Amino acid sequence: MSQSKSTIVPVSVLFVLSIWGCAALYHGGYIPEGKGIFIFAMIIVAGVFAFVRHVWRYKDAREGFAVEDELSTQIRYKAGYYSFITSLYIWAAIFAFHQLIPDVKTMLGGGILLSAIASIGIKAYLTRSYDEE
Amino acid sequence: MKNRIRELRTSRGMTQAELAKMVGVRRETIVFLEKGKYNPSLLLAHKIAKTFHLTIEEVFLL
Repeated sequence: MSQSKSTIVPVSVLFVLSIWGCAALYHGGYIPEGKGIFIFAMIIVAGVFAFVRHVWRYKDAREGFAVEDELSTQIRYKAGYYSFITSLYIWAAIFAFHQLIPDVKTMLGGGILLSAIASIGIKAYLTRSYDEE
Repeated sequence: MKNRIRELRTSRGMTQAELAKMVGVRRETIVFLEKGKYNPSLLLAHKIAKTFHLTIEEVFLL
């Protein structure tokens, strides 16, 4: 319970700050276009996802359920390993096809974003269909 | 590894959530255990067996 309580505050603050950041950028005259909209959408989705997830965990903890246990730890380690391997392939593909990418900023941002998406996807997949046998 | 968790739990009129709370794990862990997709640690196996007042061998079958 204490872990959930301690994480809900920074997650909430980060979530609110990301919303304020987007609003400040918008009112400051920067209106994202094209890939900028995609990046902002991904930031907002990640923020909302983290916030909702922590609210669920906090609710579970309040009801007396464990927030983390041995299976979730195993899933996290396994997801971390698969995410690392996937990221290596993503970066290899990015460097192999770098002539198709317009600039370095897009290449780095895209690589980090793709790695994050892959990591979230792998963890979600393992959480749903974990099978030790 | 096969186990009798579902059978023992239902025979005692216990929900997955109640068992999870008693042994200190998440509800999803009980679901994976009952499906036989997760082999618990010795500590968790001991806690589950103790909850049912049985030995580990009586709950988990090789």
